[in-house]
Amino acid sequence: MPPSSPQFSLRRRDPATQSEGVVPGYAQTASRWPAEPLVRRPQTRSELTAPQNLSRRLPTLRGDLAGQGAKRALGQLIHLRARVVDEDGAPVPGAVVEVWHCNAAGKYIHPNDTNDAPADPNFYGAARLVAGDSGLIELRTIKPGAYPVPDTGGWWRPPHIHFSVWGRVWLSRLVTQMFFPGEPLNETDYILNAIRDPAARNRCIAHLAPTDKGPANALVYDYQLVVRGAGATPVLR
Amino acid sequence: MKLAPTGEMTLGPFFPREFAQGANDLTMVEGKRAPGEVIEVSGRITQLDGRPLDNVVLEIWQADSRGRFNAPDFFGWGRAATDVEGVYRFRTIKPGAYDARLAHINFLLLYSGLMRQLQTVMFFELGADPVLDGVPAARRERLVARKSAGGWRFDIRLRGEGETPFFDD
Repeated sequence: MPPSSPQFSLRRRDPATQSEGVVPGYAQTASRWPAEPLVRRPQTRSELTAPQNLSRRLPTLRGDLAGQGAKRALGQLIHLRARVVDEDGAPVPGAVVEVWHCNAAGKYIHPNDTNDAPADPNFYGAARLVAGDSGLIELRTIKPGAYPVPDTGGWWRPPHIHFSVWGRVWLSRLVTQMFFPGEPLNETDYILNAIRDPAARNRCIAHLAPTDKGPANALVYDYQLVVRGAGATPVLR
Repeated sequence: MKLAPTGEMTLGPFFPREFAQGANDLTMVEGKRAPGEVIEVSGRITQLDGRPLDNVVLEIWQADSRGRFNAPDFFGWGRAATDVEGVYRFRTIKPGAYDARLAHINFLLLYSGLMRQLQTVMFFELGADPVLDGVPAARRERLVARKSAGGWRFDIRLRGEGETPFFDD
């Protein structure tokens, strides 16, 4: 087995800060999460490599979802600043980040969304960004609305933004959701609250930046996306 | 280590189609055919009651035909989504074995109802392999694709009878 780079390390998931399994209230989890225990495996070259220059395959798409003038999307204008870092807090430059969210009325652009809420002709809720040297991605967009989850007896999703992030190795892949501060629905969301550790849960909520510093017409939200792994990138082929 | 990784959460049902499409053919790199044997890998994804699942997102990561990762003439990453019949499809190059590892393709699954990513591995045959060896012997066969006229078939059962083994790291 090839030795991994001595500096690079990847800890196992902490069940207090990571959710998995069957979640009461979220019925589909009981049909889809495996019943058998997950199998632990050694980390080999296969799991500790990842595509280099993924942005060649997945290029930047739409750095601005809010639009301008007559083409402005409806809703509260926000400016999102998210940093991609590893477990050491070191930035991950070049990280590809996909972002998607519903419009201000709670409607996704997806054909499978049956929610009876209007589409916004000026809003297309999907963007792909590539982190700069400081690991930062920035997106001008509108704040998504809340929406009911069908056939769940009253579960409403709080406003949230989906992220799909590539870290340094195959095992660093991060798909998650970012929430907004002060939303009452945060307290009852089955997905956010499946993270048991309150501090870890709190880190999934963005911070509102001081409103006297940023752009005059947008609320600025800061966020951090921490991908698995720490230490020097393994150079394995 | 100073920070805990951000909590993973479900992909949800509305992953943009645009993201899921257009990345399931790994055979071409910048207009050139990657060296090696072209194969099709396909399968059906089902849940507990056997129902096939629409719009499951799968990502794969694999070595090239000579067992190398990130070789300049092959890009070993791809993505696909299942159709309404629950079927996904990749066109790729058959990976080579290397060191102690049998030829294999890493799979990552993302879907509504999965609180986080699931990882599994497709093999082409049974044999000695440090990852396959960790799977209970009676379940190893579930990780071996079947060869058919149309290529290699690798069905994935998320939960229930004949459940696919998944890995934790």
